[in-house]
Parts: sequence; structure tokens; C-alpha cells
Amino acid sequence: MSYKATKIGLTSLVLALAFGGLLYSTIGESAQYYKHVDEVMVEPDAWYGEPLQIHGYAKNVTRKRDSLDYRFEMHNNGHVVFASYTGVVPDTFQNDAEVVLSGTLSPDGFHATEMTAKCPSKYEVEGGVEAGPSAELPTNSTY
Amino acid sequence: MSSLGSYLLLAAFVTCAYAVATSIAGARRRSDRLVESGVGAFYLVAAIMSVASSVIVYAFVVGDYSIKYVQRYSDSVQPLFYKITSYWGGLDGSIMFWVFLLSVFGSAAVYVNRERHRELIPYVVVVISAVQMFFLFLMVVHNNPFETYLTESPVDGAGLNPLLQNFYMAIHPPTMYTGFVGLTIPYAFGMAALITGHLDDSWVRAVRRWTMISWLFLSVGLGLGMIWAYEELGWGGYWGWDPVENAGLLPWFTATAFLHSVRVQEQRGMLRVWNVTLVILTFFLTIFGTFMTRSGVVQSVHAFGEDPVLADMFIIFMIAILTVSFGFVLYRLPLLRARNELDSWVSREAAFLANNWILLFSAFFVLFATMFPTLSEAVTGERLTVGPPFFNRWMLPIGLMLLLLTGVGPLLAWRKSTVVNLRDQFLLPVGLAVVTAGALAALGMRVWVSGLCFALCAFVVGTISQEFWRGARVRQQATGTDVFTALIGLTSRNKRRYGGYIVHIGIVLIFLGFAGAGFKQDEQVLLRPGQQAQVGDFVVRLDAIRVTDDGQKQMITAHTTVFRDGEELAKMYPAKWYFRKHEGEPTTEVAIRRTFAEDIYLVLPAFDLEDQSASMEIVVNPLVNWVWLGFGILALGTGIALLPETAFAFALARIPANAAMTALLLLSLLLWPTAVSAQVGGGETVSVTERSELRRELESEIMCTCGCNSPMGSCPMRPNCGHYDTQEASLDAYLAEGMDRDAVLAAFVQNFGSQAILAAPVDRGFNRLAWLFPYLAAGAALIGIVATTRRWSRQSAPVPAGDATLDPALSARLDDELRNLD
Repeated sequence: MSYKATKIGLTSLVLALAFGGLLYSTIGESAQYYKHVDEVMVEPDAWYGEPLQIHGYAKNVTRKRDSLDYRFEMHNNGHVVFASYTGVVPDTFQNDAEVVLSGTLSPDGFHATEMTAKCPSKYEVEGGVEAGPSAELPTNSTY
Repeated sequence: MSSLGSYLLLAAFVTCAYAVATSIAGARRRSDRLVESGVGAFYLVAAIMSVASSVIVYAFVVGDYSIKYVQRYSDSVQPLFYKITSYWGGLDGSIMFWVFLLSVFGSAAVYVNRERHRELIPYVVVVISAVQMFFLFLMVVHNNPFETYLTESPVDGAGLNPLLQNFYMAIHPPTMYTGFVGLTIPYAFGMAALITGHLDDSWVRAVRRWTMISWLFLSVGLGLGMIWAYEELGWGGYWGWDPVENAGLLPWFTATAFLHSVRVQEQRGMLRVWNVTLVILTFFLTIFGTFMTRSGVVQSVHAFGEDPVLADMFIIFMIAILTVSFGFVLYRLPLLRARNELDSWVSREAAFLANNWILLFSAFFVLFATMFPTLSEAVTGERLTVGPPFFNRWMLPIGLMLLLLTGVGPLLAWRKSTVVNLRDQFLLPVGLAVVTAGALAALGMRVWVSGLCFALCAFVVGTISQEFWRGARVRQQATGTDVFTALIGLTSRNKRRYGGYIVHIGIVLIFLGFAGAGFKQDEQVLLRPGQQAQVGDFVVRLDAIRVTDDGQKQMITAHTTVFRDGEELAKMYPAKWYFRKHEGEPTTEVAIRRTFAEDIYLVLPAFDLEDQSASMEIVVNPLVNWVWLGFGILALGTGIALLPETAFAFALARIPANAAMTALLLLSLLLWPTAVSAQVGGGETVSVTERSELRRELESEIMCTCGCNSPMGSCPMRPNCGHYDTQEASLDAYLAEGMDRDAVLAAFVQNFGSQAILAAPVDRGFNRLAWLFPYLAAGAALIGIVATTRRWSRQSAPVPAGDATLDPALSARLDDELRNLD
């Protein structure tokens, strides 16, 4: 093997190791499953504790007095799950809003740590493509 | 009126088709008359699109609600300004606006270059017209903005969403569009050069300026979008790695790469295939971004709804772009051979090459992560998403590497840097970086990434100052003027180089602002009038909640007073507005007090009028204003680089020597925060637990043991959860002992007796493979670099003897068979 090839090989190895290390450190952070309410609620037990994003329509939104604790139902295709969320909600969050929640499911409902809400149909707007930071309202969760 | 509009769109489509046909015929027959007819038709399209645009704007202004589009995006009470901007408020109109801009831009580009690049013009017309035809076709068959209600039409419109009735939102989309659309021009010239085979470096010169203009608009557009998100959405940040944001960022990466690599082609005649590829990729990404956000292929809560028809049309168009473009690149490969080889890795062209690979990798990574849900669904049937942490984890080091290269590039000589030369160049910038890093460490900087970023910023500033200083000294000696005049003269002599450096200063400032985000503080607290809360150095006191009405909307305003070190800083009024007809969608009006050191940012997410209590979100955002300032400087630098020759002579004649200094002083005086002194009013302090980043992280990693099956941070039983309180106490104790993340987790596992207390990470199967993908891509890129270097470094190898011995008959047969294969 020529000197040059050795050099290139070593460099590649070092870089590959560096990338590998980074991979190892990032892999703990997990991806989340993205499901609609009805997909999850067919067999909810299977999803307990899984990192999950759940897509549905909010109904019966209530807020506990003197707090930012929201309780509501998530509907989709006839299935319902009770959900709770604490924190600042997007401006468009209200009854019948299309919502995506991130969090975990447990027997007593879905505990959301993050909420994104879609505006009603009108909200297609948003200047379109590159409208940049868009209608998404990733409210930072409380924690 | 609507039928007029529809006919105009049809007419534009037909005219485009005519322009394509005559231009091709003219170019092939070398008939000037046909070519000129094509160009004329091309200008005509711009005229038709202008008329069509006027028609729709007129419909908005007079409120012709029989047109569906007008009805959906405006109403009679909307101010005139927003009635006009409603033109690009929705999908159909934005496509039309796209074609309008493209036709105007294209006509300008053709007009400017019609003499200098005669041979390219017919094909430029062909390519741009073809792109216009695609979008016109979409409108005519699928998204006609002039579509009307067939039966009775509503008397009033539904109104533009209040969130979009915002100054930044009105100017941000057209800015982005201009950037996107402008990038079609370089593509058209690149393709024309490929088709005609005029692949000397002249086409590059023709498109450089256009790319720079588009890049400027794209950058400013991204900046405006960030400001909009920051001011209007009220979550305290400005970038969320949302698919729609990413769509704007993708072509920005490749266009930035092109603007750098084009220098290498001009200077050294290398990277010619690479440049053509970048131009094609950039254009492709503008179309792909449109596709991604409009067809519903990427599910984002705010992307346009699913539209399979539109998706199919876009897919066909994109396949056509890639096939035709890269087909021509392959066909012209022999003409694209580099004139020179890379002499050394310690050279400016090598730095540019590295910068290009990193930028391209960034584009690739962002594309991959954005498309990840779609990809995972296609592969496993399960839709998996990755959030901002994943993006940040990757883009942080990438950004820092780019920042480093920003400083290194100008210090290296073209071709090869000698050791003496290196020492001479690097001494000051490296010294500056080391001193900064040392000073920060001494001051007890706690976020090392930000510290590194600050040090790199110092390095780049060192580099650029050195460049300006040395250049100015030389010029001063040559012309005998003062330093200031020498600086201006220097910049005017080489506008692209020094304008580029100013752009880099802008980038440094933007990074400074990013680094500040490492020190962000963010708390939520419930206040009653008279109560106050402390976040960082600031104390926020709620004075009252008031309700007012201005006819268009009802406003709930929290009156607050902000103190620092016992002194009153400001009165701030975060609010919630309920627009008429949009009562269900209140808008959150953030109150921001800006200084260059930090912003204090108040949000009123919820309130109770009965007992006058307000939930408040209090955010302290250090250095965030440097991001906006950085975008401003970046625009200024690009502007200087774009100035025509005569501009500087004119300016030089009029600038008094001290004007700039005085202006700067005045500006800094104006921007200095005014300190108002007052006493802190008495009031009980509501305790806010300061949660460090680490603590939040741990709270999401340790499960609460009360049976809620949630991580501590999301325990639904709080604040009345006994288990949470116990765990919180031990967590605080551990952290107080200075234990790090792993030690705390280990301690919890030990106390609890099993790993069940940890929130389990998803870490298996396809997921792992998917996380591996960027690394594979990086690996492939690496191999690419190695292969390129080897090829460049090879001394002109003798032609392999094998070629000569190939039987011509055999190769002809092979050729035939390959051709007949399909």
C-alpha cells in the first residue's frame, strides 16, 4: 500500500470513527411514532410508554382554573382518547382544531409534552412553499 | 372579470409554447428572425402575466367575491395593504405570483444578456418558458385562481387569517418567492450552455450576478420569516426545523455553495462539472421544496392538504428536470474537463471545496431528516418522525465547521500556501480566538458549544479585519490617502471580495445570536395583580389585566412592569387579541423589550378576568438581536458586491471622511437601552424554580413513580404528586452535589432497583438503520472527496493503452445493442 493510500485510509478511519461516536451519542434520542388516534386506539396497550405523536381533532377543551393545565378529548374516525397538556397552547388550539400531540400514552390517557395545531381550512395560506417559519406553533412545553 | 383572467392564463400558456417552438427552431436553423420572434413572445408572457396579476389584485381591491380565491382570502373590512398581499395568500394565487415573477425576472435577464450571450439566449428562453408552462398548466387544469362560484356567490369574504395580517408576513413570502424564482435564471443559462456546448466560463459570469441577487432575496426572506415566527407565534424561538422552513433552507445551502465554487472556476478553471451540478441541484430543490410543502407528501400540521393530483404532476416534472439536466451533463462531460488540478490541500480552492461539501451535506441532511417520516413509512409502514433535537445535534457541529472555514478560507493562498505564509496569516486570528476562549473560560462560561462558537466568531472577525487592514495599508501607501478613504477605495476596487467579507461579518453576527440561544431562560408562572416572578436577572410584576376594544378586535392586555437589580426597566403589555369573525382564534401579541445584550419576551397565554390572574410565559433571549442585525449586514455586503462600477466613484466623491464614524456613534446611542430608574414596588414574590437544561433533560428521562406512566417532567398529577415531589427533591440533591447526567441516572436506577425508572429510548430495527443513513451519506461524500483528490493530484497519466486496442466494429455493435435495449 502506498504512502498516500495509507494516509487517506487513516484519515477516512478517523473521520468514520468520529462519525460513529457521534452516531452513538445521538442514537439515544429517539424518533417518535406518528399515528392517528384511531390507529392507536384500536389496540392502545401496545402503545403505552412509546414515544408517540398522535394526530386528531380536539374536543371538549377545558382548562383548569389558575393554571395552564388543559384537558381535552382527541377524536378521529370515531375513536377517542383523553389527553392532557400543560403549557402555552398555540393560538389556533380550540374545539375541533386539528392537533398533533407529542408525548406518551398510558391507561389514563395521552400526556402531551408538545402540541402543534393546524388552523382550520383557511390556514392553507401561509404564503406557501417557502413561507419560512410557518404556521407551526411549537410551543415550548413547560418542562 | 374572472373569465378575462382565465383567458389571460390560457393565452400566456400558448405564448410560452410558441416561444419554446420558435426559439428551438431559430437556434437550430440559425435564423435570427425566429429567435427574435421567440424572445418577443417571451416578453409578451411577462406582459400578459402583469395584466393577469392586475386583474386579480383589482378583484381583491373591489371585493369581487364571486371569485372563490378572492372570497377565501379577503374580506371587505381588511385594510387595502392586506387586500393586495392576499394575492399570494393562498396556493392558487401563489403559483400565479410565481409565474408572474419568473416572467418578469426572465425577461430582465434575457434583455440584459441579449447581446453578450447571443448564442445562449434562445435556449434560455426555451428553459424558462418550459418552467412557466408547467406552472401555467397547473393553474389552467388544477389550481385556477380565477375559479368562480357557479351558483350564488357570497356577499363577503372569509378574511385572511389574522396571523398573516402582519407586516413581516406580507413581505416575507414575496421575498422568498423572488429568491426561489430568481434561481431559475442560473439554471436556464446553465442548461443553455450545456445544450449549445458553449461551456467556456462565460455562462458562469452571466449567472453569477443573478445567483447573488436571488441568494440575497432568499437570505433576507429567511430572516424575515424568522422575525415573523419570533414576534408573532409567541413560543420564544425563531427556527423550528419545520418542513416549510426547511424547504426554504435547502436551495439556500446549494446556492451558497455555488457562489463559492464559482470563484474556483473563475480563478483556476476547476470544478466545472461541479458548478453545473450545483446550479441544477439548486433549481431542483426550489421545485422540490414547493412539491414537499404543497402536495401533502410531508405531513406537517400546517403544510397544504394532501393533493395527489398536484403531487403526481410535480413528480413528473421533477423526474423530467433531473433526467434532461443530468443527461446533458453526461453528454457534455468531455467539454467540462477541468483546466487545472488541485496543487495542495493547503490552498484556498481546497478550502472552498471543503466548504462546498459541507454545504451540500447540510442540504442533504436536512432533506433526509425532513423526508424521514415519508421514507420510514415507505420502508416499514410505520411513520416515524424526528424532531428539532435531531436536527440541532447534527447542524450544530456542521454550522461550527462552516464558521471555521469562513475564517480559514481567506487566509489561504490560491494554489498553495507556504509555511511562512501560513504563520504570517494565522497568527492574529488564531491569537484572537485563543484570547477570547481564555477570557470566556475565566469568566466561567457554562455552555461550551456557545463558548466555542464565540471563539470561532473571534477567529473569523480576526481574519476579516486583517484582510481589510492589510489591503487598506497597501492602498494607503500607494495612494497616500487616509485609512478610511483607503478602505472605501479598496472595497470599490474589488467589490465582490470585500463585499463578500462584509457578508461574512453578517454571518458571524448571526452565529453570535445563535450562540446566545444557549443561555436562553424560559419560565411559566401564574400571577395575580401585585405578584411578581423572577427569571434570570429580571423581575416581572403583573399590575393589572385590562380589556379594551377598538372596533376591529377585542384586546385583553396584561399590564406588567419589569425590574432589574431593583430598578424599573420598562412597562410591558403582552396581550391576546380577538378579531371579529375570528373570535375562536385569538392572536397572541408578544411584548418584547429589545437590547443588544438580551430580549425580555413576555407572552400571555391564558388569563382569568374574574380573579384577574394571568398565566405568563417569561423568556430571556440573550443576543437574539444580533441575528437580525447579522441579516442586515449580510444584505449590505451582498449589495456592495452587486454594485455597478460607477456607483462607488459617485459615492467616493461625496462621503466626508468622518461620516461613517459619526453615523455609527449616533446609531449606537439610539440603540442603547434607556434606563429608567424607579423603585421596585412591594409585592410578594412567586417562586419560580430555575430549571437548568440538564434538569429538564433528566426530568424527561426519569419516569415518575406515581403510576402515571409518564416521565417526571410530564407527570399529569403535578403539582399535587407526592412521588414527584420526593423524586424532585432527590434530583435537586444530586444536581447540587454536582453529579452529571449519567451519574444521576445511575443513582436513580440504584435507588429504584431497576432500569424501569428510565424512559425507554426507541433504539432498534429500522430506526437504527435510519439514523445510520446520514453517516453513510457522509461516508460516500468522503469517498467522493478522496477520489476527486486522487484524480486531481495524479500527474497527467499516460493514456491507457487499452483504449487504442478496442475493436471499432465491436464497440459500434455494443453501442447499437445498448441503444436498442429499451
